[in-house]
Amino acid sequence: MAEKQSYLRKNFKSIVFKALKATVKGAIFYVAYFFLWSMVLAPFAELFPWLELSVETFMAIYITLMIIAEFTAGTVYQYFFSAGRALFVIGYLILTLQGGLVGLTFENVSLLVDLRLFLMMAMLFSLLGLAKSVLQAINYMNEKAETAHMGSLNVKP
Amino acid sequence: MNVPIRMIGLATTFFWIFLIAFVASVGYSAKDLQFGFGELQTSVTSDNDLFFSLPINIANRGYYNIGLFNVITEVSDADGLMIARGDTLMPIIRKGESVTILHNMTLDIDEVLSTHMDYLFNDNELNITESVSLRVADFIPIQASTNFSVPWGAPLYDFAIGNPAYSVINMTHFRVAVPLSFENHALFDIAGNVQINMYNSAHVRAGEGQTVIAAVQHSSFSDIVEFYMRVADVTPSGSFEVYLQTPLFNYGPMVIPYG
Repeated sequence: MAEKQSYLRKNFKSIVFKALKATVKGAIFYVAYFFLWSMVLAPFAELFPWLELSVETFMAIYITLMIIAEFTAGTVYQYFFSAGRALFVIGYLILTLQGGLVGLTFENVSLLVDLRLFLMMAMLFSLLGLAKSVLQAINYMNEKAETAHMGSLNVKP
Repeated sequence: MNVPIRMIGLATTFFWIFLIAFVASVGYSAKDLQFGFGELQTSVTSDNDLFFSLPINIANRGYYNIGLFNVITEVSDADGLMIARGDTLMPIIRKGESVTILHNMTLDIDEVLSTHMDYLFNDNELNITESVSLRVADFIPIQASTNFSVPWGAPLYDFAIGNPAYSVINMTHFRVAVPLSFENHALFDIAGNVQINMYNSAHVRAGEGQTVIAAVQHSSFSDIVEFYMRVADVTPSGSFEVYLQTPLFNYGPMVIPYG
């Protein structure tokens, strides 16, 4: 009974810690977004009316995936969500930036911003993040298998 | 394996921070880029082409250099056929620098009017496509373009030659007076010669005369061309052949019947 209570307490503590960590991470990301938006992106919102909604949607999904990944920390699902987050960033950037060529027509003036180089670099970094998540998942499974194997041999790791 | 994974994570975070900071500063810097346009200057070159010059002021108060600043102007007719093009390239505008560049374009009036005779006598519209491109921080190319129409004023609008008036000089010859008039709607002055050849109904050249024309832009011109012809060549109807010679363009023969 005492053992069960201790397990529950430990579990509760772990959940609270994860929630706290996720909240702090989410808050840091949101504050960074807030500053980036108000200092840099806000003037462009007049030119690109879809920008605000688009960036907010991105932040909402990104932070949600980050929080889920934090809650599933210690399981293999954490890496699935991390990989999903990297894939989401790639897909989102390709779709939002229209393949890197962002066009806008204002009255009789058409504006074309070529963000292909930026998109390419962002995709490379996202792929690096994806590779990291895959490696982490492999490493996690490897360590788990190793622990199980040691356990079956009754050897303390 | 934990250390390499951690290093990948660190490198990714660093690259992301660097990329976002760089792009954000480029965007922030773009705000401090100012453009201004001077007054359009028009003149006639030594080759008798029409020359346009537009001063463009660029003040780069941003954090990065502006590269390959390019202004392209294309003038085309109503069918989309290009009749003139101006291209100005400024390889680099350094940060903190203010420069004035002259965007020049030459219009060969003679060539334009030889392919578009309609432009000589009728007011029309020209399509102008303006394109500005630049490369911010050698990283983000930006292009802005627009098109609009400008009125084309015909240099010989409402060109008309009246019926000849005859006055007797002697038993064999008449003096012929042919009224000539037009309105210069063009944005350039016209100065030159008009030669008129008069043919009677038997297609015999009965006489010829010429006069000097001079019409500043947006003004009317009228004159009388006088010449002598034999009485025997006079017929109630016939035609005039008109030749125009100006430094900017030559035109002729233009056949105008009379009588």
